[in-house]
Amino acid sequence: MPDIVLDSLTRAFGNFKAVDDISARFTEGSVTCLLGPSGCGKTTLMRMIAGLETPSSGRILFGTRDVTRLAPRQRNVAMVFQYPVMYRTLSVEQNIALALRDERRLSAAERAARVDEVLGVLDLAGQRHWGIDRLDSGTRQRVAVGRAIARRCDVILFDEPTTNVEVHSKLELIRAFNRFRIGGQQTVIYVTHDQTEAMTLADGIVLMQAGRITQSATPRTLYERPESEFGGWFLGTPGMNFVAPTGERDGGITLDITDRPLRRPAGGSDGLRVGIRPERVEVSAQPRPGAVAARVQRRALTIGGQYLLLLETRGSRLRARADSEGGRQLGDAVYLRCPPEHLAFFRGGQRLAEPPQFLSNP
Amino acid sequence: MSLVRFEGVSKSYGRLKALDEVSLAVDSSSLTVLCGPPRAGKSVLLRLLVGLEAPDSGRVLIDERDVTHLPAAARHIGYVPQSFALFPHMSVRDNIAYPLVQRRVAQSEIDRRLVPVAEMLRIAPLLGKTPSQLSGGEKQRAAIARGVLQEAPVFALDDPLVGLDFKLRESLMDELRDMQTALGATFLYATSDPLEALTMAERLAVLDAGRLVETGEVLTLYHEPSQLRSAELIGFPRCNRLPGHVSQGRCRTPLGELTVELPDGEVAVLVRPEHVGLGDGADEAGLLRLRARIGLMEHLGAECVLHLQAAGAGLVAVPATDQVAGLAAGDEIALAIATRHLMLFDPVSGQRLAATRVAAYA
Repeated sequence: MPDIVLDSLTRAFGNFKAVDDISARFTEGSVTCLLGPSGCGKTTLMRMIAGLETPSSGRILFGTRDVTRLAPRQRNVAMVFQYPVMYRTLSVEQNIALALRDERRLSAAERAARVDEVLGVLDLAGQRHWGIDRLDSGTRQRVAVGRAIARRCDVILFDEPTTNVEVHSKLELIRAFNRFRIGGQQTVIYVTHDQTEAMTLADGIVLMQAGRITQSATPRTLYERPESEFGGWFLGTPGMNFVAPTGERDGGITLDITDRPLRRPAGGSDGLRVGIRPERVEVSAQPRPGAVAARVQRRALTIGGQYLLLLETRGSRLRARADSEGGRQLGDAVYLRCPPEHLAFFRGGQRLAEPPQFLSNP
Repeated sequence: MSLVRFEGVSKSYGRLKALDEVSLAVDSSSLTVLCGPPRAGKSVLLRLLVGLEAPDSGRVLIDERDVTHLPAAARHIGYVPQSFALFPHMSVRDNIAYPLVQRRVAQSEIDRRLVPVAEMLRIAPLLGKTPSQLSGGEKQRAAIARGVLQEAPVFALDDPLVGLDFKLRESLMDELRDMQTALGATFLYATSDPLEALTMAERLAVLDAGRLVETGEVLTLYHEPSQLRSAELIGFPRCNRLPGHVSQGRCRTPLGELTVELPDGEVAVLVRPEHVGLGDGADEAGLLRLRARIGLMEHLGAECVLHLQAAGAGLVAVPATDQVAGLAAGDEIALAIATRHLMLFDPVSGQRLAATRVAAYA
């Protein structure tokens, strides 16, 4: 299967551009997540790839083949929807076998072998004779995945398949997904608004906002080096903090959250914002070199018993994480330190290449 | 003084005992999260408070007044139901204002309250539409707006963020907490999402199978649960639970052997994911050391949830992302667990066991 190429793709509904001039390439055999908030255009984009939606302009290529005007069935694409359509009167096995009804070249034995293989990979062998009604939403979704992979299509598209699946079942689904991906040759495009799912499943993430691609990168790069404020905010629980400088002094810019000025970036402090992830803010009960005093305005528990703190220092608010042990020792008066290697400059919502550095060393 | 009190309320539907002798007192201006798995009785408890149902036995008091059989309209409670019950023929604005119009609040007053709430919930541009023109998430936000617009002394929010997209949930959690503080209102907030429960709660009331398991401050319940079910239900990722068998002061568990001062019998051994450490813990004393295989790595951004297999038992750890660089599913790794972090419970009664000594058996 060759790469999928999107070339200046636009889909407008009246004046509203759901997808606005998007170009991208999805490499053969890779898993790409289209990630973004509700209404960012990710589902519309995927529906165009599936052939369920016609682009207003632009082209979709599977390799060199232009499929823009082809009907869904001519594209050799399988799709797993948010609400899978199942035949309730049929068993798990029959539902999967049904996906193969148009594969005329398969013998009965080959069909049976294909179904067995899928049941094995998705850990459904024990439920093969069960009726669909007996399954929870996650297992039902696994059957839907089974139907998609049984056909051995070149491309499998997933539209938020775990939205209505409860947590435990969701993990089973993700495990099943990983198993079928081992050695898989299909190109997978997976739409989700769930950053954890995207970071867990994807080789690459296409982050979308308002019909456009904000950044396209590996999960780690997207998390560690967001190119936009939106990206920094969207990934992370909670997302990145942003503070504006308080002024300029002696070739540096001053911030509430650091004890000394940062080297002034080209363009100065005008419209500048400095970002730092909550887990990179170091919080202590005692004063330390380089730390500034802050007050805890709110504390809550979060992932792994960490403390999520809302801090206020000299008029700036930011969130910080403290580990379970350390967090218990913190009163309302604390000290925070923001290491420059974890800071990033943004202007007009976009990241500046220049790395923040202190004017003087501590 | 407690503003809301449930006194031994029970409610059955046919043979299903939805609530079984639940007594709970909620202080004025506090935020109490009712947490527990689906069908724990959270929604039913809120419905009794709102007046949509009457208990089979027991009493509901608001401000020391018995309201058990008072009609819903006479109780003045801001209610956000789980399913968005909006009138299809009315605009979003009229839907939101409906309870106030019923109470004959002046139009100018309604407008004054509506604008900031609609902006907070990002539905200001939708006020002129009808519910059928809204997406699921938008309907839900309209339902939240209708509940919070009432400026009532007591609010009952029944899983108000379920199904909304990730980032919207995060910001609405913040805003609902800010609003609760600003209004000085009393919030009863039901959720089955453990992370949402942790993040939102000042106080927690843990419900399971129609019974109140335990209630208290969130930090206390998290660090020192007195009941097995609260240890299991509070926390994200979920607390690890392993079987232990005590015989003559030695407790066999899949993690290794412990020395305990407990009578012979079965125990449940619980350890939080953040206390399952990576590496062998060097020379530190009081550690259980074991080896485990990584089944699945879920990437949350700042940390990673490791789903592990160790000595036939499933185990979950939640190290920082920096700690798991280079690891992949299938790898075998060393783990160390400090025995001081183990929590022992009677698996039958669910009571915490105060073993005076828990140590790794040398």
